[in-house]
Amino acid sequence: MKFVRPESPEAAASSLGNGSVALAGGTDLVPMLRDGLVQADELVFLRDVVPRGVQSGRIGAGTTLAELEVDPELPQALREACAASASPQLRSMGTIGGNLLQATRCWYWRLRFPCYLHGGDRCHARQGTHREHAIFGNDRCASAHPSDPAAALLALGARLQTTRRELPVADLYRLPTEENRNLTALERDELILELDVPTPDASVYLKAMDRRAWSFALVGVAAARFGAETRLALAGVAPVPWLLENPSALEQSTPLPGTAYKVEIARALVRRALASLPTT
Amino acid sequence: MAFDELRVNGGSYPLAAAVGRTLAETLREDLGLTGTKVACGEGHCGACTVLLDGVPTLSCITLVHTVGNRDVTTIEGLREHPLVASFVRADALQCGFCTPGQIVSAAALVAAIPSPTREEVRHAMSGNLCRCGAYPKIEEAVVTWQD
Repeated sequence: MKFVRPESPEAAASSLGNGSVALAGGTDLVPMLRDGLVQADELVFLRDVVPRGVQSGRIGAGTTLAELEVDPELPQALREACAASASPQLRSMGTIGGNLLQATRCWYWRLRFPCYLHGGDRCHARQGTHREHAIFGNDRCASAHPSDPAAALLALGARLQTTRRELPVADLYRLPTEENRNLTALERDELILELDVPTPDASVYLKAMDRRAWSFALVGVAAARFGAETRLALAGVAPVPWLLENPSALEQSTPLPGTAYKVEIARALVRRALASLPTT
Repeated sequence: MAFDELRVNGGSYPLAAAVGRTLAETLREDLGLTGTKVACGEGHCGACTVLLDGVPTLSCITLVHTVGNRDVTTIEGLREHPLVASFVRADALQCGFCTPGQIVSAAALVAAIPSPTREEVRHAMSGNLCRCGAYPKIEEAVVTWQD
């Protein structure tokens, strides 16, 4: 395996694919390399070329979650989502760009079952053990998106600048289809460079976990109020971060037998999140 | 920029590892610094925690080639830190396997916040698991480290 330090983001992006894999914080990639879930001939190291730091609502994709957690300039929902993510060490290592692109925690996928996401014809979690899995968008793949910050950024209506284009964070994600099993719309040779985060009047992130720290979300709820409009987005409930049109949209969820409890948690967290947002 | 050296506990070592080798493997197997422990090997438990420029980092999922010119501090580099004595005083361990990582994380915390509250200790140390369940005494050791 080769280790490459590109000179620019463009050089980094154009070298990706054909066995060349982008490496930033490595918190997701390194375990996947070691487990054989990702094969690489070449690691393209991004630390020196992807922007890092926060300036007037623009976040470099190479900024760590630990840095975002304590930045007073950022909306509360994003800071809280970062603070509630993973562990202190992982937050100090992992970048926000990598966080948005992290792979699912579904154990069938991680254990390399020939599941729908791996190109197979069925989702093993639907018939199998799926307590941590989805209640929305789960007809083909029932995995649950693990990112807390992604839900916060979705509620905040953040936009991404990549090496190719600008897009809303909502458009970064897609549900898998017969032809394309990817959960993101990023091209193979495309890198996220910056995030543009609007400033809401108020925002909050609430997270239900099996323990109070260092767990993936059973359900995470981000709420952001802009004037008369409040946007809600959920983590841990669908294969991608999930925008909730309104609280009653929870009644259109499609839980599996083992995930019905998540609907009740989501109802409670949505209610609490909305109640916690100041109305003035 | 090429980094053919690894800076550890104030010393400098030639970096001669295959790409893909982790910092933990390099520390333990190449440099003989076996105070850094590997338990889960996948970034969950915190036993392998070292400092990179003072920041707690999981050495078992850090590729050694990504360390660059950052200073690595392992538990061997904290031999004289008062936290070591306070862990003994508070009896903050049973099997002791997680202890190096606990002390490394605590050292970063007290460098940033010399008198942390119990809540700050819990937040900063939540990535260091202890299967013996010595958490109350670990918390005690950290809040009393200056005594």
